[in-house]
Amino acid sequence: MATSWPKKRRLIGAKVQRLDGPAKATGKAKYSYDINRKGMLHAVLLRCPYAHAKIKSLDTAAAEKMSGVKAIHPIKKVGEELFWAGEEILGLAADTEEHALDAVRAVKIEYEVLPHLVKEEDALKNDPQTVSPVGGKRNNVLAAKEAASQGFEKGMADAAVTVEGSYGVPTICHQCLESHGLVAEWNANGELTVWASTQAVTATAAILAGHFRIPANKVKCITHYMGGGFGSKFGPDIQGIVAAELARKANAPVKLMLDRASEITAGGCRPSAYGKVKIGATKDGKVTAYEVDCYGTPGVGLSDTVTFNALPYVYPFEHKRKHVRIRTNTQLQRAMRAPNHPQNCALTEFILDDLAAKLEMDPMQLRLKNLPQNDPNAMQNAPHSLPALRHTIYTREIEIAAALSKWKEKWHPPGKTPGIIKHGIGMALHTWTGQAVPQRNECTVIISADGSVTARTSSQDLGTGQRTVTALVTAEILGLEPEQITLQFGESPNGASSGSGGSTTVPSQAPATLRAATAARDDLFAKIAPKLSAKAEDLVIERGKVVDRASGKSWDWKKACAALGEEKAQATGFWTAAESNKPENKDVSSSGVGGVQIAEVLVDTETGVVRCTQIVAVQDCGMVVNRLTCESQVAGGVIMGLNYALFEERIMDRVTGRQVNPDMEFYKLGGIEDMPKILVYLHDMPERGVIGVGEPPVISTHAAIGNAIFNALGVRVPHTPFTPERVLAALAAKGGGQ
Amino acid sequence: MNDTGEHNHLDQQDVGPTEAGLSRRDFLRTSGAAATVAALAEVPAALAEEAPAQSPAKAIGPEPVQLTLDVNGAAMTTYVEPRVTLLDALRNYLDVTGCKRVCDRGTCGACTVMVDGKPIYSCTLLALEAEGKKIKTAESLIDGGKLDAVPAAFVKHDAQQCGFCTPGFVVAMRAAFDQNPNATPAEIEEALSGNICRCGTYQQMRDAIVALCKNQPGLGTRKKEG
Ligand code: FES
Ligand code: FES
Repeated sequence: MATSWPKKRRLIGAKVQRLDGPAKATGKAKYSYDINRKGMLHAVLLRCPYAHAKIKSLDTAAAEKMSGVKAIHPIKKVGEELFWAGEEILGLAADTEEHALDAVRAVKIEYEVLPHLVKEEDALKNDPQTVSPVGGKRNNVLAAKEAASQGFEKGMADAAVTVEGSYGVPTICHQCLESHGLVAEWNANGELTVWASTQAVTATAAILAGHFRIPANKVKCITHYMGGGFGSKFGPDIQGIVAAELARKANAPVKLMLDRASEITAGGCRPSAYGKVKIGATKDGKVTAYEVDCYGTPGVGLSDTVTFNALPYVYPFEHKRKHVRIRTNTQLQRAMRAPNHPQNCALTEFILDDLAAKLEMDPMQLRLKNLPQNDPNAMQNAPHSLPALRHTIYTREIEIAAALSKWKEKWHPPGKTPGIIKHGIGMALHTWTGQAVPQRNECTVIISADGSVTARTSSQDLGTGQRTVTALVTAEILGLEPEQITLQFGESPNGASSGSGGSTTVPSQAPATLRAATAARDDLFAKIAPKLSAKAEDLVIERGKVVDRASGKSWDWKKACAALGEEKAQATGFWTAAESNKPENKDVSSSGVGGVQIAEVLVDTETGVVRCTQIVAVQDCGMVVNRLTCESQVAGGVIMGLNYALFEERIMDRVTGRQVNPDMEFYKLGGIEDMPKILVYLHDMPERGVIGVGEPPVISTHAAIGNAIFNALGVRVPHTPFTPERVLAALAAKGGGQ
Repeated sequence: MNDTGEHNHLDQQDVGPTEAGLSRRDFLRTSGAAATVAALAEVPAALAEEAPAQSPAKAIGPEPVQLTLDVNGAAMTTYVEPRVTLLDALRNYLDVTGCKRVCDRGTCGACTVMVDGKPIYSCTLLALEAEGKKIKTAESLIDGGKLDAVPAAFVKHDAQQCGFCTPGFVVAMRAAFDQNPNATPAEIEEALSGNICRCGTYQQMRDAIVALCKNQPGLGTRKKEG
């Protein structure tokens, strides 16, 4: 049966307060970190202090005898090599956290310290071969990926003007406020329950079941509340597995949450990207070719640090691209909010403003000239897809952003304002997908005879407002209020769901809820119609009641449900990418968004301090489900992007191979007083169906701020974060600020 | 932490023999806790003056000692080692988990509680230092179904996402309004400058602040927001 959203929508698209808001704001909500079980032990991990070392000897005898110690679980053995400072060696559980910390210090361990590399640029001069072997080779610098479009050479040759520059973004840390970890508890039947801080409830349960070789239904993962993941919290991780191992050994519940330094050094980081970029254009600003040669570090891993096939970003220039991965003795990179798109955005958007300056053009006009065209094929076959609409969407969004920011009045040629404190305005574009995932996502809706309604799913709410979305969709279909829906959320036995990554949860879950609520309603009608002397097909929902269209009679919701008697009305709905792609389900969920951001800054040319004063964020997001939480996501993305621009950087020490700022004092994040005014504009297109919005708003903020600083100074500050030191260095390189 | 930011609880202790029979010097020497040693590293000069080596010192620990705290109006008793922070005593020993542990060293504000009405980073105060004082956590800002005006404004304006930082912000803001019911939005923002949110809820927080400041007077006394 075809699925579609109701034509008339009362709640969908309205501003609905978070249902778990009061519990969270008053500290009553229990996060995984807050779970205290009877007889629970506290566990800590011993980590390698060196960036590269071999374990020479390991003696836990003294630690085992320490007060309160109940279990030790080895992770690494004598003779094994460790490849980054922070790598896990063993786990230890004791009756109190204090005892666990004392005992882990009593572990006697000797290392053979080996050469390391922690700064990617160092490897370009001389490859020290300090990482784990891949195909027998320990190279830090991996073979380059290269590609070019057919028209590149001609494009560069035809260019009337060319500009070159170097740009880059550093490795940054996820800094989830609730650290990674979980509480593990086994029962007498050999069943494991974990309260995990995870973005993937069902995957966490499945991975643990696989690790312990027990049936999947013997592991239950619970994530009722989650204190931030941003892409770094999929699965139990090593600490989750160790906690469960320790719990089994000690026959007691175990809590293992990372401390702050571990959270930062081992809990995830976004990879760096630095590149040389060259761009060519005609005199009137039509870009003819774009070339990028970039590198970055995935840490000890192997993955790209840019989205290779999306360079240049957003704009379909003739291009030549090269990317080199440099493996370092640092933690493995993890996905971070729109993985690799902020890197691509910086490597594309910065040079556009440098080009505009050389052409003496308004950079907004330059962008309008170079936007991707609507794809005629897509316009035929998928008229609501981003390829079919991209030119239209970006053009409209730029118009809206220009009006909201008063671009015409405020923009000036770069560096052309008088005085010490200079004003600048800049912009950048971004894109993201945000579609339903291939895996099955389920939601179950149950209506009881007392009129109570339960919506149940294993899916998790990371703070995006997913819980409220589920209630809101259910309430819309059943003519109720969101508060009337009881939610059973974030427990792995509640059905199939996927991890929350890639802005996929609303487009995967909301249609499943729509189907479940619709089918539960129909089940209700079928069951109560005979008792109400009506035909099921004549029954409809109106706000708070069931109406018989044939007789005109109506029953208040509770009365109508009472006719269920001993029965319940119930249905499970599911959604997948394949369902989304079926012609009969078109425009329920879809993929592809664009966004435009405009930033304004004041830069003090004497101190180098940048103050961001305003950001306009125009974001398309298909059909808005909850306008309140959707706006929060966009503003939150902008704030995270502002942190990228002005504050965040992982700083590694070349000599010790350790991070020098694994804390919250020297790893900076902005506070409320650092915040600009943020204007969020949702470019609502309900005809496109539901598209995820969690990630896209973070992508272009740092590029917009970087371009605003360029507009203020007339000088490019090439690398984020735009700290006073970097601003002053850039000014000095060009001979001062005046 | 006291107002000047030092750990000075030992200065305020009487000098005399302890239950455990340890002198203060012994305590300093035998305590295995790096955190405690680090915290005490600032005071030895003062200690030496105050407590000559010969005089018997009243010291406590390192074994657990009885701790009674007044938390949200209820007396709660447990046993903790003297090195345990107020934050850890509340969370790990008394199951009061509204205050969150994030940085654990006085940077982020997630652990903010009120101690005798003042907002304090509970990770920087030893639990024993809080004895005899009135501790209030975010949990005190809901009474049955009745929500205090500050968390109510957070809910209404959606000033929270993951919510892990939120109880800390709510307590800091409540304390700021308690101290000055006529505070301006800028003054409230200043009072929140010791708190960090990773999800980026400041914009909505500003909406909440503006609404709360407009609704003056009356914030000094708790009331339900309509
Ligand atoms: S946990 Fe106390 S200030 Fe961060
Ligand atoms: S709401 Fe997540 S850290 Fe503030």
